[in-house]
Amino acid sequence: MTMRRPIILLLLAPAVLLVGLLFVAPLVGVMSLTVHDGTSFTAEPIRELLGSRVALVVLERTFMLAASVTAICLLLGYPAAYFMSTLRPRVRAYLTYLILLPFWVSILIRTYTWIVILGREGIVNTGLGALGLAPVQILYTNVAVHIGMVQILLPIVIITCLASMLDIDKDLMKAARSLGASPAQSFWKVFFPLSVSGAATGGLICFILSLGFFVTPALLGGRRSIIIANLIDLQVHQTLNWGFAAVLATALLAITLACLGVFWLLMRRRVEFSGAGLGR
Amino acid sequence: MVNLTRRAFGIGAASVALGALSARMAAAQDVTIVVNGSGGSLAEVLKKLFEDPFTEQTGIKVRATAPVSLPKLKAMVESGNVEWDLTELNGDDVVLATKEGWLEEIDYSIVDPENELPEMAKLPTAMVRASYSTVLGFRTDRFPEDKQPKTWADFWDVENFPGPRSLENSPKCNLEFALLADGVPLDELYPLDVDRAFAKLDEIKDHIPVWWDNGAQHVQLLVDGEVNMTSCWNGRITPLKSEGRPVEISWAGGALLLSYLGIPKGAKHPTEAMQFMKFRMDPVASAEFVKVMPYPGFVPGMMELLEREFVATLPTAPENAEQQFAFNSSWWAENLEEVQNRWNEWLLI
Repeated sequence: MTMRRPIILLLLAPAVLLVGLLFVAPLVGVMSLTVHDGTSFTAEPIRELLGSRVALVVLERTFMLAASVTAICLLLGYPAAYFMSTLRPRVRAYLTYLILLPFWVSILIRTYTWIVILGREGIVNTGLGALGLAPVQILYTNVAVHIGMVQILLPIVIITCLASMLDIDKDLMKAARSLGASPAQSFWKVFFPLSVSGAATGGLICFILSLGFFVTPALLGGRRSIIIANLIDLQVHQTLNWGFAAVLATALLAITLACLGVFWLLMRRRVEFSGAGLGR
Repeated sequence: MVNLTRRAFGIGAASVALGALSARMAAAQDVTIVVNGSGGSLAEVLKKLFEDPFTEQTGIKVRATAPVSLPKLKAMVESGNVEWDLTELNGDDVVLATKEGWLEEIDYSIVDPENELPEMAKLPTAMVRASYSTVLGFRTDRFPEDKQPKTWADFWDVENFPGPRSLENSPKCNLEFALLADGVPLDELYPLDVDRAFAKLDEIKDHIPVWWDNGAQHVQLLVDGEVNMTSCWNGRITPLKSEGRPVEISWAGGALLLSYLGIPKGAKHPTEAMQFMKFRMDPVASAEFVKVMPYPGFVPGMMELLEREFVATLPTAPENAEQQFAFNSSWWAENLEEVQNRWNEWLLI
């Protein structure tokens, strides 16, 4: 039995109120700072954004970082999820617990741990030293930022990929094999296309989360690892230029929404396409 | 069974309500001032030496908050929701906050009735609380004994003093250090030659893997051996030295800075806050404080209570002070935005 409309609205009210008060209202406040300096309307922050080389470079850097972290997460996460999808449910459940285990430790602590591991007198460099090799600067480089971010985001990608893979009817691959397809063909022609949307969703979540990362680049990165969230923080705390901070935040939001829009359009076409292919 | 639970719940609820009521009645009677500071281990020392005795003497309770933040002050004053009654501020923050009207005028007839404080400690909107130095700190075990870095010129000399270094992620002080390394005399630093400073900073940029953001970080960098030398706050290194860590500071070319106490505009208890400011100038408690945190300030009568060997380790000891320059807060408040933007561009791209 479906619920009546007023009841649904009533049940939604607390969540809507919470999101409205604690998220939408402050967001509108922040966005209004981009065109209004508290006393009058101004175009200054927007002009500042377009004229700021730092902002444009850092924005570009943010997207490049998010893209490469997402690519690494997918390259590592997809095979892991595929492997897990072939296991017995019991074993898979244990593995899932293991994968979710890091979520019990705060991101801050996990990031600090990398400082200990990757530092000049850390485990990695001590090991290299024992092998007679010179210490390598890993900490405070983009490599360290990638390691830290992938470690945090990989479980999310694996779980999202896995969820969609488990929905795939394994009999389809058996049918392909019985019709003469090689194992590789049955994977690439049947399983892979069906799992792409799940992997894409995982990648998208990973990408969007990466765009907003703050702690990891701040603690593990060098001066060239600063991304947009760090730049916003700098404007809020160092230069007190809140208009500029707001315009940066709004630009990030707008570009993220644009990415979502593009993704949505692509996925819609894919679903139509693959739906037609399956004769549904 | 159900009834019993309900009754127990009823009694519980009633006592909670009563508790809240009595708490509110109590709050109406006495005053709690909110004092914002740097937090950390320092907060405990402040509580023991100043806040608890103050409450005992006056009945005014003190609640400590952290961290020191100009943006928070701005947000509080502009939104009209002022939580702090008193806050620590650094020098250029005072200049900026005063210009923007975020600070109350201080009534020195309350804070300093006997007129004992030196004039330079008494600004219209802020009082000097402490003095500290940003100096060159280094790992003694990373350099031969006869070749330890002493000056900013040494810091810049990557041939003779090799290894990774760190500086603060801020133009403040770093421009001065660069100019000193480039041969500008201590007393001719201001107004800063910004172009010359950035040109000199270009030379060292690639030898600095990490730019620190706070005091805890530069301590960690030195202790972990992540860098061989860094700019640092004198008070953070003294405890490391007494723990036996191989670290040392050089006063040469250090920046002597002042830290202030100020009352946010629209604070709820400005009078009580000023009474507490007076209390913070107590020489005996201040002497104890300085033994833990070597940031002396200008408390009248305090130095006389300290041993001479100890005074020699303070930033304001004459032999240390004469090697340093006085950080010019007004120059920085005047030029911060422009220089900070240039700094960001220089550093991040």
